[in-house]
Amino acid sequence: MTDTRKQGTRSRGEQLSILDRTARWITLPRFIFAATLFFFLTSILFPFYWMISSSFKTRAEISGRAPVYIPSEWRLDAYQELFDPESPIGRFGTNIVNSVKVAIPTALIAVILSTLGAYAVARLKFRGKDVLLNSILMVYLFPGVLLIIPLFAMLAQIGAKVGFNVQDNLAVLVVTYLATTLPVALYMLANYFRTIPAEIEQAALIDGCSRLGVIWRITLPLAVPALVSVAIYTFMIAWNEFLYALVFLNSRELFTMPIKINTIYNEPQPIPHVVMAASTLMTLPVVFLFLALERFLTEGLSAGSVKG
Amino acid sequence: MTATTQHKQSSFAKRWKSLESREGRLAWGLVLPTALIVFGLIIFPAIFSIWISFHDVGLHNLNDVFHAPFVGFDNYSKVFQDFAFKFQGRQSWGAAVTSIVYSFLATILTLIVGLIASLLLNRPFRGRGIARSIFLFPYVAPIVSVAFVWRWILDPRPSGVLNDVLMRLGLIDLPVAFLATRGLALVIVIFFEAWRYFPFAMLMILARLQAIDNTLYEAADVDGASAWQKFRFVTIPELRYVLGALFLLRLMWTFNKFDDIFLLTGGGFGTKVLPVLTYEFSFRLLDFGRGAATAMILLVILVVFMAFYVGIVMRNVDAE
Repeated sequence: MTDTRKQGTRSRGEQLSILDRTARWITLPRFIFAATLFFFLTSILFPFYWMISSSFKTRAEISGRAPVYIPSEWRLDAYQELFDPESPIGRFGTNIVNSVKVAIPTALIAVILSTLGAYAVARLKFRGKDVLLNSILMVYLFPGVLLIIPLFAMLAQIGAKVGFNVQDNLAVLVVTYLATTLPVALYMLANYFRTIPAEIEQAALIDGCSRLGVIWRITLPLAVPALVSVAIYTFMIAWNEFLYALVFLNSRELFTMPIKINTIYNEPQPIPHVVMAASTLMTLPVVFLFLALERFLTEGLSAGSVKG
Repeated sequence: MTATTQHKQSSFAKRWKSLESREGRLAWGLVLPTALIVFGLIIFPAIFSIWISFHDVGLHNLNDVFHAPFVGFDNYSKVFQDFAFKFQGRQSWGAAVTSIVYSFLATILTLIVGLIASLLLNRPFRGRGIARSIFLFPYVAPIVSVAFVWRWILDPRPSGVLNDVLMRLGLIDLPVAFLATRGLALVIVIFFEAWRYFPFAMLMILARLQAIDNTLYEAADVDGASAWQKFRFVTIPELRYVLGALFLLRLMWTFNKFDDIFLLTGGGFGTKVLPVLTYEFSFRLLDFGRGAATAMILLVILVVFMAFYVGIVMRNVDAE
């Protein structure tokens, strides 16, 4: 008895002192700081929570008289509908594969081509370098909607002559994504190559290594972080791209994820839980990729490398 | 004697030249694939777009574009007379004015939010690393996902969460159709832009903040400056260049942006900006000439503004 009472008073005393301490700790600047931080974190995280939690709700929960803040049960209805082979909005697996088919080749080719180009820009002297760099910078200026009309007309013309379809052709999409990502990749890599001391390369050249040998044996191993971040960026741009895919793809079988999600959203009967399920599947890989490689990536982000 | 030295010199020069040209040839070999793709798929199409804007190009003659009839400024005058384009008083701004208002306000708001976020993250606190990663989420996530999540949050049906929260708090009596109310829709779209793009501004400002010489603050402390005075007279001047550059970049990108508004409102309810109008002319009406003309008008507005900004505003900043 006495023991418990003692404990009670002691803990009350501690509580008081904690309250006291926090009261003393909280000053106006600290309060403003904490409140602003809280505001930022909730307004950033809530949409992501809402996306993921909505994807586990049922049709009844999604169209009820009030929003369901926490799903009573984490149901997979939306995902089942999304992968349903019978339904026109289903077969999302095909769309995931299409996105992968576009994003991975774009990333690989962009890394290879931009490495070669960036090395030349960073290390070699050649005529027309400034003209080249300036015209590559112009890419920042041209809106996608401006380029898509002539691109469409041009590729339709070439396609009619050579014999390929402009529409519903994932290869055409890869080529257009390369055009929009290569300039950025080239700038990023060239900036990185400049930070590698030229003396190391010169030593190898004097020892009889060829230029291409130098690139392969010396520069590339030193530039792995930059290569990784360029690969991730180009992958993300191709993975997320909307406008070109919207114009160039017509058949549901060839839709990349963004276009498929857009059509699901525009179904006559709204099914937000399915849209959110598809969005979750599209967002999670990108966010995880980003978190895993963040150290490489933020530097590139602040270098203004991502157009968006 | 002189002849031999001359001979030596010229052969040396030749060798030097050939070495240089060999390097040049290698360089062009390395750049060529990138250069071809960029010129073929960006620079040439951009020039071709000017050509299209003066011709009657539609779906019927798309496979034979080069024989499309020349129509002079017809496409341009059609755009200027279009009700979706021209300003007709306060009720209906038209795409040009909407674009300008939207880009300016969205850019300024993005910069302000980015500045606040960078000031938050510039102070050391427990969990700062995680907070920084989280702050980047809106910028990293795919635009389609975040646009549709926001549409779903802003949904006017009873299951829309923002309406529910506001009604529970007693701030509104009836659900509001946020993205389907003229005026309000534009405000929401501007807020969305700030939500999505502030991390980019934040990162660039943060990098500059961390490079500010701490002795400046110490000197201000000695002079008895308040926190606000330190911010106003030390931090802001140090951030001048990065803010100026950010403003230009973000304004340019926002002005050119198609996806965000197209996905959020489809360009309805007073949010039709020039990129969306370009898309509609080209791929809804299938009038590519008119679409190209709209895109050229967009580009001209942008270039004129940039010339003005770089020539006058940035020079004044330099002079200060």
